[in-house]
Amino acid sequence: MAAPAPYPGTPLWVKVFGIIALILIVLVVIALFTGVGGEHGPGRHPLSGALGGPVLPIAHRAPRP
Amino acid sequence: MTLPPGLRKLVLTVHVTSSVGWLGAVAAYLALAIAGLTAQDAQTVHAVWIALVSTGWFVIAPLALAALLTGIVQALGTEWGLFRHYWVLVKFLLTVFASAVLLLHLPTVSRLAATAAAMDSANPTALRGELLHAGGGLLVLLVTTTLAVYKPRGMTPYGWRKQLERRTVPHRDTGK
Repeated sequence: MAAPAPYPGTPLWVKVFGIIALILIVLVVIALFTGVGGEHGPGRHPLSGALGGPVLPIAHRAPRP
Repeated sequence: MTLPPGLRKLVLTVHVTSSVGWLGAVAAYLALAIAGLTAQDAQTVHAVWIALVSTGWFVIAPLALAALLTGIVQALGTEWGLFRHYWVLVKFLLTVFASAVLLLHLPTVSRLAATAAAMDSANPTALRGELLHAGGGLLVLLVTTTLAVYKPRGMTPYGWRKQLERRTVPHRDTGK
């Protein structure tokens, strides 16, 4: 019985994709923690349920004179 | 477990519809964010925030969850599997990532919308974040759609092992 074919290895597109993803993740992390990305950061995202789901802003509007 | 052909087509239809719908809804969200950023009056900015909150919670989030769920069912219920082919695995990871960012970001959209509604002057700067999130989301969804159409070759070590096992161990029903 012939030996099973060896694993051909990870395709090139997966490696390229992984490198691009890694670079993007590093850039996003830098933007988040240095403030380069403007008013943003982990604190901008409250924990889930903090606002109790969808709240249309119209409900908060004060009546106009 | 393999899905029967009728059910497989139904799940595939829901998956394609929700995935492409998600992409379209994010494109509409991006257009709204641009309209808000370029608006001069407070009323338009308020209207844009209302549209963003409604679109985000009632269109984008349900479509994203439907796409993720039907994608998992479709992968596990067919020969493709979830971890056997790189394109399926990468698409799955990108969809999980996009859904997680979306669900984490939507409460922030509600909060920013409420803040904008309480202001009498137009302050569209908060919409810059929406532009970035929607732009990034659109890019990720374009990649997942491309992967789904082209299905680039390449098996994971797990998929390769499973394929060898299938070749060496004959199926019970075919051995008769």
